[in-house]
Order: sequence, then C-alpha cells, then structure tokens
Amino acid sequence: MQPVSATTSSPAETPRRAAIRADGVSVTYASGTEAVKNVSLTVPEGEFFGFLGPNGAGKTTTIKALVTLLDPTGGAVTVNGFDARRDRRALRGSIGYMAQETSIDLELTARENVRFACEAYGVPRGERTARIDDLLALVDLADVADDQAKTYSGGMKKRLDVATALVHRPPLVFLDEPTTGLDPKARNRLWEYFRRINEEGTTVFLTTQYLEEADQLCDRLAVIDDGRIVAEGTPAELKARVGGDVLSVDLVDADAVTVERAERVVRESGLLDGEGVVSRTDTGLSVTSQRARRVGTDLLVALRDAGILVEGFEVHSPTLDDVFLAITGVPAGERVAGANATTGAGR
Amino acid sequence: MNGGAETRTATVEDPQFADSVTTTSGRTGSTAYLAEVWVNFKRWNRKALRNPFIVVGSVVQPVVFLLLFSEVFGGVVGATIGDAAGVGYLTFLVPAIVIQVALIAASSSGIGLVNDIENGMFEKVLVTPMRRSAVFVGKTLSEMIRVAVQGTLIVVLGVLLGATIETGVLGALAMLGVAVLFSVWFTAFSNVLALVTRDQESTIIGANLLTFPLLFVSSAFLPIESLPGWMQVVARLNPITYGVDATRTLMIEGWNWSALAPDLAVLVGLDVVFGAVAVFMLTRASSARV
Repeated sequence: MQPVSATTSSPAETPRRAAIRADGVSVTYASGTEAVKNVSLTVPEGEFFGFLGPNGAGKTTTIKALVTLLDPTGGAVTVNGFDARRDRRALRGSIGYMAQETSIDLELTARENVRFACEAYGVPRGERTARIDDLLALVDLADVADDQAKTYSGGMKKRLDVATALVHRPPLVFLDEPTTGLDPKARNRLWEYFRRINEEGTTVFLTTQYLEEADQLCDRLAVIDDGRIVAEGTPAELKARVGGDVLSVDLVDADAVTVERAERVVRESGLLDGEGVVSRTDTGLSVTSQRARRVGTDLLVALRDAGILVEGFEVHSPTLDDVFLAITGVPAGERVAGANATTGAGR
Repeated sequence: MNGGAETRTATVEDPQFADSVTTTSGRTGSTAYLAEVWVNFKRWNRKALRNPFIVVGSVVQPVVFLLLFSEVFGGVVGATIGDAAGVGYLTFLVPAIVIQVALIAASSSGIGLVNDIENGMFEKVLVTPMRRSAVFVGKTLSEMIRVAVQGTLIVVLGVLLGATIETGVLGALAMLGVAVLFSVWFTAFSNVLALVTRDQESTIIGANLLTFPLLFVSSAFLPIESLPGWMQVVARLNPITYGVDATRTLMIEGWNWSALAPDLAVLVGLDVVFGAVAVFMLTRASSARV
C-alpha cells in the first residue's frame, strides 16, 4: 500500500489526510471519446465535496474512475490511501458508492437487499441483524422491510439504495446524482441523511447537476465542463467570482432579436461604467455588476425608453446558477437538463 | 473558461493512512472465497424462487420435446434406433432431453446478468470487494441447481413413461452430474454474450441461434452415423455430442469408463476455458477500453 503524498496546503486550513487524490486522470473510451481530460483533485477527510457539471460533462466517468469501476487511461487515483490500480479490493471495501441510477435488486425485499450488501462487504455476522434494522429505520423503510423492492416508489428505492451503500459504515461515500428525478420531499429527506453521515465524520463526494443541492450541502465544489475542471472553491468563493450582484430581467418578447436589442441597449447605456457582464438567458437578460443594485432601475427605464417591454425583474446576490453562467458562458438552464424542475435555474 | 483549474486543498501525508482505514475487504483465504461464492449463490437462488415462471417455463419445452419426439419421431425411426442401440427410443431420447434442459437453462443465464446490468446491480456488485470469480461461480452454482432440478424432472418423467436406466439410481444421479458439468460452459458463454451485448434481446437471440443448430447437429436425436457426412464432422466437434454421449453411456451401456472419460474430459476442458473467458470479461468490465 502506498501512502498518500502531500498536496499544496494553505495556512488558513488545518491540514487533513486526503481521502481522495486524483492526479491528471484521463478517460478515453475505445470509441475515442475523451470523457475526462487531465482531472486533478484532492478531497480531505471529512469534507462534503461537490462535483458539479452539466449532463455529459464527465461527472459520472470521473466518479467511476475513482471507485474502480473504470480504469483511467491516464493519471493516478488514490482513495483512502489505496492505489486504485494496485489495491482495488481494499479500496472497494473502504468506500460506499451510490450510482446515478437506482441500484437495487427489485426481486429482493429491502431487508434482503441490505443483507446482501452486508454479506458482500463482509460485515461481521453478529452485527448484521442490528445494523440492517438500524439502517432500514434510518431510511424510513422499517415498515416495508419485507416487501419486494419492486413495489416501492422511486423515492423509497433511492433510500434503500442509500442504505445498501452505507451498510459497512465506510469512511468515504460516493454519491452520483443521488436525488435526480426525486420530488422535493424525497430530496430533502436524502439531504438530511447525507448531512447526518457527514456530521458523523464520513467524507462525501457528491456529483450533482442541481446547483441548489451543491449550495446546500457542500463544503467545497469543483465544476467540470467538457471533461475538464473549470473552477473550484467553496460555494461562497465561487459566488464571489461572479463579481457583483445579478440583475435578472425577463422580457415580454424574449425572441432572439429583442434580446439582442436589449443587450445592446444595456451595454450602450453607459450605466455599468464599463464593468460587469451582460448575458442572455432563456427569458431575457442577466446583468452581473458591482453596480447592479444601484443602476438596476435606470437600466429598466433605458429598456422601456427603447420600446422593450419588461415582464419582470429581480436583483439578487449571485447563486451557483450565476456562477455556472459566469464560468461556462452558458446559462445553467441550457446546460443542466432538468435543473429547472427543482432549482428554478434559468428562470 | 479556466481549462487548467484543478482542485487542491490542504492535506497532510500519512504513510499509515491505508492501514488505519476501516475496510471490510480484509477477508482472505478459501473460507472467505467460499463466503463470497455463497453470498452470490444465495441471491441468484432467491431470485429464481421469486420468479417460478422461469424455472417452470424453461422445462416445458424439453418436456414437450420428450413427449413429441418419443411419440412422433419414435414411431418413424424408433425401431431402427432402438434395434441398433438395443433399447427403446424413449431410453435413447431421455439423455438428449436432459442435456437439452441443461442447454436451455444455461442459455438463459445471461438474461439474469443483463437484468443486473440494466437495474444497476451489476455495478453495485462490481464495486464491492468480492472477487469477480466468486461472483461468477456463485451465479453459476445457482444455475447448476436449476439444471439438476429440471434434469431430475425429465429423468423421472422418462422412467415413468417406460425408459430404463442401466446404471440405476446412482447412474441417474451421475447423469444429472454430467448435465450440470455440461451446463457450465454454456452458462459462461451466455454470460459472456450478456457482457458483450448488454442487451436482453441480443443475448436471447445469440444463445438461441446456437442452441437449436447445436442440438440437431449432434448425437442428441439421431446417432451420428445416420447424419450426412459433413454433419458428422460438425457433430463430432459439437460439445452437445459429448454431453449426450456421456449421459447416454450411463443410461444405456452402464459404467463404461473408457467411453465416459474422454467425454467428461472434453466437458471439463470446455468449462475451464469458457469459465476463464467469463471471469476475464467480468474483470474487463471495469476498463475504459471495452
């Protein structure tokens, strides 16, 4: 077993051991598709780390390389001190993994699914029954523990999936878009579980396309786009990168010609004093500027004077949606499929 | 866009990190291996019992074959074959149907794996510390139980209809053993097909494409000598011939080890080769170069 080597450290942080370390990881499929390009990341023990990106950005491929489900075509991965090429079995025994798609045996009951996971991970025989009962209670499935999983709702299946990923009490859990497709109530319940295990010391690596989820849960984030990490930091740091407040303007006619004209009006108004970013959104414009609050009303007046009808507007502190827009140049709503359903992204 | 960004945070080196991490994968040795096999064996058996249609359904066709072939085929060629072998056509046919049962049961093994792939259980199993070979052996053992149960049904039905077993009850058990041995290579083949296609229809079609030609170009329903010349060559290379010949030796001739040994050796060889390929494919399932 090889030790984890030190990475850069900041005097502001108390150094912790690296639960995950990836150095220059690349994954190129046999088809020639470069899904992950030279990704390097370090996640210290105990951190709730978010891996954020749109569909097809490389999140799942990266997580699969970290949990040994894919051999990277380049680079090195060390997880919990185990090398992903040399110490695969030990690495697998030291992590929990919840795949993007619900991964349970639908023909087995919840109890049987969790017991299978117990046995597969070698949980000591004497501890199994109590642990199964505890976990099923934790995920609120105790009452239906002996029903076949195929009779469960989507949310119940996800919760059962969580239980099977946690059964061996791993110090590190990988969660690949765990709440995709769930209703807000089910999503909130899962968030509670994730927060709880993290508070108890478990390192969590979460991939998500929901900006709100990353904002709510994560200590630190990395944003991946087109197989490359394009930004990283705490949610607050990333928001600070946006560079000011955000004025969102919804237009009555949000066709391309009108939006382009509105953008020109804002740029040529002189109100932004040469700073700030004006971006087009699905419904109008997004103006990010240190002066957004101060000149917001004047900008709306300028638009009205130019004959452009405004349906609504909002000035707010930057959200991760805005971060995404600032980093990738594309509104999150256009890149993050389904995000609108739960986050209101794209407005 | 910052294409070169990477996430770096404060971490500290700890040479003993891996040793201090709680891992449940410390199981080593043969007992641990058997435990892993047992885990998988139990799961697949449980699934089979939950879905009796598969168990019952896959035995219907061989039963129909047994009844139809013995009635229709037996009336036409039965006397000739029976005279040549010194037994009735039913006695000649039962070993073939036992092997057919094994073949059909084995051919459907890959469907279970495709189901696992589709519902995510395959990945879930791969990410556990269980060894790939134990996963395969556990699943295959479960298929073997199914083959043995279905084979028993055919043998009992055959005897009830008038077939005779030269080697008695012990020989009947040996016949089931041969059927189980025979089933392993095709179970492995079906699982390889599943891993390659990752699609139920393709797995079923792929297995069926082979099942029937293999059955008919073999010693299953007619003696090899009665087949056309080129078919005799294919039949002698066909694994089904070795399975059928071994069970037929036990059924008709008795404990003729000089006839049994080569057949069993071929079956063991096939099992080892196809089993190794299946385990290799399972291991390769985690490669980006698939």
